[in-house]
Amino acid sequence: MHSTIFGSVGFALFPVVVAILALLGSLTLPVFADVLPYDAVALLAHALFLLMGVMVGSFGLMGREFMNRRFGQASLIAYASRSLPISEQRIFATFLVKDTVYYILLYVLPFAAGFAAATPFIGIDPVQGLVALVSLALAFLLGLSAVCFLSTLYAHSVALFAGTVAVLAVAALAAFRLGAITVSTILPPYAFFLNPALEPLALSLALILVPAIISVIFVTVEYPDRTKRFENHLDPLSGRLHALGSAHFIAKDALDLLRSEGGAGKVIFSFLIPLGLVWICLRIMIRFIPGIDPLVVFAVLLGVLSATIYNWLTEFDSFTSYAFLPVEVREVIDAKLKSYALLNLLPAVVLVLAAATSGGAGSLIPAFAAFVSVSVYTLAVTVYLTGLHPNVMLYSAWIFLRYLLAISPALLLLIFASVFDPRYALLSLLLILPAAFLIIRARVKWQAWEMPRY
Amino acid sequence: MYTGCRCSFKKNRWMVTHMQQMIEATELTKNYGTVTAVNRISLSVAEGELFGLLGPNGSGKTTMIRMLTGQIPPTAGSARVMGIDPAKDPVEVRRSIGIIPEQETPPSFLTAEEYLHFVAKIRNLDAIDERCGRWFDLLEFGDKRDVLCKDLSRGTRQKLMFAQAFLHEPRLALIDEPLINLDPIMQRTVKDFLRGYVRDGGTVFLSTHILEIAEEICDRIGVIHNGRLLHSGPVEDLTATGRHLESFFLDLVRGDTGA
Ligand SMILES: Nc1ncnc2c1ncn2[C@@H]1O[C@H](COP(=O)(O)OP(=O)(O)O)[C@@H](O)[C@H]1O
Ligand SMILES: [Mg+2]
Repeated sequence: MHSTIFGSVGFALFPVVVAILALLGSLTLPVFADVLPYDAVALLAHALFLLMGVMVGSFGLMGREFMNRRFGQASLIAYASRSLPISEQRIFATFLVKDTVYYILLYVLPFAAGFAAATPFIGIDPVQGLVALVSLALAFLLGLSAVCFLSTLYAHSVALFAGTVAVLAVAALAAFRLGAITVSTILPPYAFFLNPALEPLALSLALILVPAIISVIFVTVEYPDRTKRFENHLDPLSGRLHALGSAHFIAKDALDLLRSEGGAGKVIFSFLIPLGLVWICLRIMIRFIPGIDPLVVFAVLLGVLSATIYNWLTEFDSFTSYAFLPVEVREVIDAKLKSYALLNLLPAVVLVLAAATSGGAGSLIPAFAAFVSVSVYTLAVTVYLTGLHPNVMLYSAWIFLRYLLAISPALLLLIFASVFDPRYALLSLLLILPAAFLIIRARVKWQAWEMPRY
Repeated sequence: MYTGCRCSFKKNRWMVTHMQQMIEATELTKNYGTVTAVNRISLSVAEGELFGLLGPNGSGKTTMIRMLTGQIPPTAGSARVMGIDPAKDPVEVRRSIGIIPEQETPPSFLTAEEYLHFVAKIRNLDAIDERCGRWFDLLEFGDKRDVLCKDLSRGTRQKLMFAQAFLHEPRLALIDEPLINLDPIMQRTVKDFLRGYVRDGGTVFLSTHILEIAEEICDRIGVIHNGRLLHSGPVEDLTATGRHLESFFLDLVRGDTGA
C-alpha cells in the first residue's frame, strides 16, 4: 500500500533491511556481552516489539484518518458497513488480523531471521531463532491487544479508561515494590523466550486474546458528525501566535490536530502510553546495567519519540493543497518546525515530571540538554529524508536505512558516554550543528522536489 | 445576477497596458514517460478575453493549466503569464492570478470561513471579513461558513474554491472545469459572474469538456485533442457559419488521426 509513492522495490527491500540490521546487531552481541548481558538485550528486543505493537495499535482505533491511511480503500467498506450486511465487529476483527500479518511479515519475521542467521557465529542454539520468532510476535501482539483494549475503553468512557490505567499502574508499582512479580511475569513473551515452555506461551496467548476479544466485541466506530459547526478559531489563534510568523499555518496545524478524529486521545495513545512504557522498561533495565543514568537515557528516547510529533503535523497536510497558492515549500516546512517546537513543550514537561518523581533531579540539566538536542537532531534527519511525507516515506527501505544510520550511532554514543558521567550528555548539544545544516539543506531539497523546475 | 462588486480590476486602471497578452504559450509540451499529454501548443489570450480550452477527457487540458500556473514544469516550450515565466517564478505567477484546480479540495479540518481567511492571510489581504462575506453572499453559501470543509458537499466545496481564487480580485483567473458539481441555478450565477468579470476587464482561461459552456460564455475557444491544439478562434466564427459547435467539434476530433 505504501509501495506506490517510491516504487515497489524500496518497499519490498524494507524487510531485508530489518533482517540485515538484526543480523549485524546480533553478531556484535559478544563484543558487548560484558556490559550488556544477552538476557538484557533479549528483554530490550521484546520491549521494543511490545512498544511497536502499542504504537501500531494506538494509531488504530482513534478514527477514520487512521483507517484511511492504513487500509486505503478498505475504510470505505468500514464506513459503508451501516448499509452493508457486515457487522462492525467483523470488519474490525479483520483489520486486526490483517495488521498482525502485515507487521509480522514486515518486521518480526525478518528480525527473527536476521537473529537466527547470526546464532551459529555467536554460540547460541539456532533453535532460539525460531523461539524468537514466536516470542517477538507475541510481544508485538501483546502491545497491540493491550492498546486496543484500552482505546476501546477510552471510546466508551474516558473515566473508565483513566480508572483502569490508574488501577493497573498502581497495582504494577505496588507489586514491583513488594518484589512480588518479576520481569518475566509481566512480559510473558520474554519469559517464553528464556524458557520455551507451555506455561508462558499459554499465559501470553491469554493476555493477548482476552483483551483483543473484548475490544472486538465492544468496538465502537466513531462516525463523524457532519452537522457539527465550529466558530472561527483560525483568526484568534493566529493572532495569538503572530510573533512567530506564518502564524496562520501554525494555527491550521493546531486545528488539524485538535479537530481530527481522536483529538486528545491520539496524544494519549500515541505518545503518553508509549512513554510510560519506555519509563517502566528503563526502570527494569537499570537492574541489568548498573551505572546507567535512567533520566538521561529516558531523555534520549524521549527525544526520538518526540520527533514522531512531526508525523502528526504532516498527517493532514499535503503540499498539493498549497500548490495553486503563492506559497513556497520552505514556508510550509518552517511553519511545521515552529508547530513542532510548540508541541515539544509537552515532552519537556514529561521530562521534568519524570525527574521530579524519580528523584533523579540531579541530572536534570544534562538530561534536558540531551532531550532537546536529540529531538532537534532526529527531527532534522526526518525532515531532510522525508520532507512533508514522513508517514509514508519512512517505509522505503533506503530512507529507513539512512534514517537509522543517521540517528542510532549518535544515540548509542550519547547513552554510552552518559554511563561514565551523566554530565557528558551535555555534549549532545553538538548535535544542533548537523541538525541546523540538515534543515537548511532540507528546505532547498524539498522545495525542488515539490515544485520541480527545468 | 452578477452584482458588479466593488472590484478593483475595472478596465480604466490598466488602460496603459490594455490589450496586452495575458497568456502566451509557445510550443508548450509535456511528456509523462511515453505519453505526450500536451504536444507543442502555442496560444495567446488577450486581456479582457474569456478563453475556453475545449476537449474530451484526457486531452491535456489540466496538464496545460498546470504548466501555465507553474505547478509542473514543461518538458519543452515556454510560457509567459502576465509577463512572468511560470517555470522560473511560479510563486510570483500564483501571487498575481487566481487558480481553481481540477481535483484539489480545501483542507479537511478548517471551516469554510477559516479556509477563506487562511487564503486571505497567505495573500496578505486587508478587509478580510468584507471580502469573504461578499463571496458567501454571491455564491449563497453563508449558511455553511462554520462547517468543516470535509463535511461540505462537492458543490459547496467548488463554491469555496471559486471564492478562494477571486478573493484577491486578480486580473487573470485560470479555472479547470468551472461548473462541475454545481446545480443549474448556481451554474447560471457562475456564468454570469464570469461574464461580468470579463466585462470589467478581467481575463479568464477556463477548460471544459462541455460544449454548451464554451458556446455560451467564451469569447474564443481552442479545441484540444490528444494533446494537440486542433483549432483556435472566436466562437462567432463557428456559430456564424451556421454550424452547430457540436458538429464542428466532432469533425475536428474524428478527423484527428494523432499524426
Ligand atoms: N501525472 C501524470 N502522470 C502520467 N500521465 C499523466 C499525468 N497527468 C496526466 N497524464 C496523462 O496526460 C493526458 C492528459 O491528461 P489531462 O491533462 O489530465 O487531461 P484532461 O484534463 O483534458 O482530462 C492523459 O492521457 C493522462 O493520462
Ligand atoms: Mg482535466
